[in-house]
Amino acid sequence: MRTARAGELLKDFSEITGTLYNPHIGDWKKRGGKVVGIVCCPVPKELIQAAGMLPFRIRGTGSQGTELSEKFTGDLCCSFPRNFFNQAQKGKLDFLDGVVFSNNCDHYRRLYDNWHAAGIRTPFLHMISNPKRIAEQARQWYENEMVALLNRLQEHFGVTVTEAELEQAIRQSNETRRLQRRLYELRKAGHPSLTGAETLAVMVASTCMPPQTYNQKLESLLSELDPAGGSHQGIRLMIVSSSLDNPVFLTLIEDLGGLIVADYSCFGAKLIGPDIEENSSSPLQALSRHYLTEAISCPRLYGSHPQRIQFIQETIREYKVEGVIGDWLTFCDTWNIFHYMLKQELKKDGIPFLMIEREYIPSFKGQLKTRVQAFLEMIRG
Amino acid sequence: MIVAGCDLGSSTSKVVIMNNNDVKAMAITATAAKPEITLKNILNEALEKAQLKSIADLDYILGTGYGRLKAPLFHSNMSEIACHARGVYSLNRKARTIIDIGGQDCKVISINDKGKVMEFSMNDRCAAGTGRFFESMARALQCGLEDISALSNQGKSPVSISSQCSVFAESEVVTLVHEGLAWEDIIAGINNSVASRLVALVNRIGLAEELVLTGGCAKNEGLGLALQKLLGVSPRKLSQDPQFIGAIGAALLAEDKLRDRGGAS
Repeated sequence: MRTARAGELLKDFSEITGTLYNPHIGDWKKRGGKVVGIVCCPVPKELIQAAGMLPFRIRGTGSQGTELSEKFTGDLCCSFPRNFFNQAQKGKLDFLDGVVFSNNCDHYRRLYDNWHAAGIRTPFLHMISNPKRIAEQARQWYENEMVALLNRLQEHFGVTVTEAELEQAIRQSNETRRLQRRLYELRKAGHPSLTGAETLAVMVASTCMPPQTYNQKLESLLSELDPAGGSHQGIRLMIVSSSLDNPVFLTLIEDLGGLIVADYSCFGAKLIGPDIEENSSSPLQALSRHYLTEAISCPRLYGSHPQRIQFIQETIREYKVEGVIGDWLTFCDTWNIFHYMLKQELKKDGIPFLMIEREYIPSFKGQLKTRVQAFLEMIRG
Repeated sequence: MIVAGCDLGSSTSKVVIMNNNDVKAMAITATAAKPEITLKNILNEALEKAQLKSIADLDYILGTGYGRLKAPLFHSNMSEIACHARGVYSLNRKARTIIDIGGQDCKVISINDKGKVMEFSMNDRCAAGTGRFFESMARALQCGLEDISALSNQGKSPVSISSQCSVFAESEVVTLVHEGLAWEDIIAGINNSVASRLVALVNRIGLAEELVLTGGCAKNEGLGLALQKLLGVSPRKLSQDPQFIGAIGAALLAEDKLRDRGGAS
């Protein structure tokens, strides 16, 4: 049985995730703290933390449409950026003191081009040009980009970032990773103590609250959950997805008899990965190496496909996954083609695979339910 | 054991009453805005045909289709994919690929020699390649769906309909009508366009013979012919109305459920 305290903590994580401006951000701002939005995985949050600011991974939570974005993007643009751009235009991201974009895809890049044109008054904007292939030259480029970001942060916000502060940010971020690894470990149990939807809420919360507070909260949660397992059961599924930040989507799958026990996704396992090297001779070198070559790789990266497939195959074994759901957002070319490649690999391994195309805002529930139910029936045999 | 399989589809609702694998009654009606009322009416019609007094005479009711998750009368529900696979397999043991073309969805289902679903693919969200597409084309041509089936084979040089979106395709067809093209050629073009959408779905999972078409649109002979040309395989005819296959499968699965819980009479 789950303790009352565990239930409260999970509810709290879910509330933090269910909104953009959560109470922790409110407290941070009241104390005069700055919040800097980051777009996509390759913006190292540790740089922002080292500068004494709160990194906030941008989402479109609460969005109900993209009517304002379509003045700038047309509707062939991925719905994730279109929705958070819409939220920003509605003032829902006005609490941000800055936004650091990455050119992970052109859809993000174009938002940078249009952010101010759309009348969004974020005082500080920066674009980090991140590499698209794994190579030493690319790492050096990435490190230079990190230096450029640090310089601009220091200049704009009038702060100085020391190596010791970078080191401290790396340690704190590694502490989050270690706790999140323990959280994922719980999902390996025959009857895990938490659902996939609950886990996702806990993970997303790590992208929008002060790391120290988050770590304490997660530590408390872990102490309340029985490592031997809980009561959740269902067909064990792994979800492979990009900008999956809404637990409602996983609830839909879990209500039909699935149980998400593992993932390869941007707001999930990809946030964890291995630790960043601590006490290295150069923290920036360690950071660039981590994000380019050590972190669980992104499909945008040329030269990392085998590593990605290996990660997914190992996860399937370790978490006793019975089926994989590949979820992608319409018009996301990078992930779409990756899913087709993954499908071929999983077929060789005899792992059932269901590909779902969807929009950022949950819709088409009827069709989604038919696909998922049929997939679960197929696995049950 | 007397069971009912109810397929509450997006466009039509079907009920099949079965007694020990034997179809006793079938009923069909358009799905109304209130699915629970549709279900009640159609169930009563089927009960009457089967000479049964009331719903209480049914040992098990299994639902499928869009309305499956909300109807309180159902003992359980299964996806349309499982039901079509079960229905087809009961009628043709050699079937390996099923193309189900319903009102709002089209699905390609691959089954093995035991009738087990191995893989499936579905249309991505929009109504391209489904009954809704044919309905909007019939509206543009101001003809009936039966004309789309009958006239297609007379098309000498089918036009090419490039829009996959049914809304755009409707405008495209209106333009073709105004250009004075022969109806037969436009209709053949419409069937080719849907068939090519379906072939894309077939290609995702691979085609194995024998091929069977189910769902309301399987009655469209022009579509069957267009598919045959593109796939190089002729679909096998079933001994039952293709529109009822989902409901037949649901009834058979209802019997399975009863057997599983040892309730066989």
